[in-house]
Amino acid sequence: MSRSLAAPQTLLRSLLQSRPRTQQQCQRFLSTHSSSPSCRPRRPTPSQRCTDGQSTLNANRPFLEQRRYKAKTVEEQKSRYRTGPFSWKAGLLFVVTSAGLVWYFEYEKQRMQRKRVAEATKGVGRPKVGGEFQLVDHEGRPFSSRDLKGRYSLVYFGFTHCPDICPEELDKMARMFDLVEEKAPGALTPVFITCDPARDDPKILKAYLAEFHERLVGLTGTYEQIKDVCKAYRVYFSTPRDVPPGQDYLVDHSIYFYLMDPEGDFVEALGRQHSPEQAAKVILEHMKDWKR
Amino acid sequence: MGWFSTSADEKRKEEVRTGARAPDRTERKQCWDARDGFYRCLDKNNVVDSLTGEGKKIADKQCATEHKAFEENCASAWVTYFKRYRVAEHKKKETLARLEKEGANRMAVEGPGDTPGSKKI
Repeated sequence: MSRSLAAPQTLLRSLLQSRPRTQQQCQRFLSTHSSSPSCRPRRPTPSQRCTDGQSTLNANRPFLEQRRYKAKTVEEQKSRYRTGPFSWKAGLLFVVTSAGLVWYFEYEKQRMQRKRVAEATKGVGRPKVGGEFQLVDHEGRPFSSRDLKGRYSLVYFGFTHCPDICPEELDKMARMFDLVEEKAPGALTPVFITCDPARDDPKILKAYLAEFHERLVGLTGTYEQIKDVCKAYRVYFSTPRDVPPGQDYLVDHSIYFYLMDPEGDFVEALGRQHSPEQAAKVILEHMKDWKR
Repeated sequence: MGWFSTSADEKRKEEVRTGARAPDRTERKQCWDARDGFYRCLDKNNVVDSLTGEGKKIADKQCATEHKAFEENCASAWVTYFKRYRVAEHKKKETLARLEKEGANRMAVEGPGDTPGSKKI
């Protein structure tokens, strides 16, 4: 930027220098002899014409300025050329200024983009996932969405008869929880909501979840209650409503971990593609953002 | 399950098979091991679909013991599920191989999903 600042100074200096030269040129123009540098008092006629011309000079300025381009020496021609509007310094100033502006706009654009992403989960336009619910936990106690407020929660939907994916995912969830708990004790509640309320009563849930992690909260309820929760969390599930006792069935359901913030708002979905370490890192990063 | 008598153990196994009781960790492990044994046998005989047609015939003939163990250790719903899963998995692999041959690029799904608000890049 020092270069671009230097350029106007030279421009200014050249402007200041050009003023006496203009006077000189005027005098030269007014005198019949080009060799005479000024109006001498011993020659009255030119002097008279000089003072007379001084007033007409200001009136006919454009005409005079055209004459200014006539240089007498090579050096003068050169200096005239250097101080012209299209000098290499002006070019440099132009290029540097343009580069600066481009850089500034790019920087601002990126900054706004970061800001937008950071605020995407808050306010208007955020996907509405999650919400109020009233269920029963694995100890048979009533458990509502209010019990999750105040800390982050990791919500997973499944069922105890799940053949392969849920047990794997629950092992992953236990590992994730341990990793988060290590860094931020007591900041996360792991929640398992069954999609199969007909078979998964609190007792069964308790026995099932104890195999994965003792801190896991198992939730169940009536078919209608579970249906509402699944709908609130945008979880697809295919539990048949009325199954004759003794008939086995499997439940198709979405397999995402839902990370919810302390206010019960959805933050991010963690899927099968995340390793427990990656998922824990994502969760901890969000927690850091919250404190800010 | 040492404290269960043999009959209680049998009863429990039966309950798991019919789906009246959800299998615990050990039972799941047993089931998965039996499944893998059955899968290995199917691989040996080049069978993908053991539920219908020619595949079922070969499986019934060549993998009878493995199939018996599979059915004994897993809930019947799981047996069907795993048999179907094998077919689906095979089709998925075939499709991926075909797409890759056609020059499709594999997208890494590591990291954040396409959900708004994922901050990681």
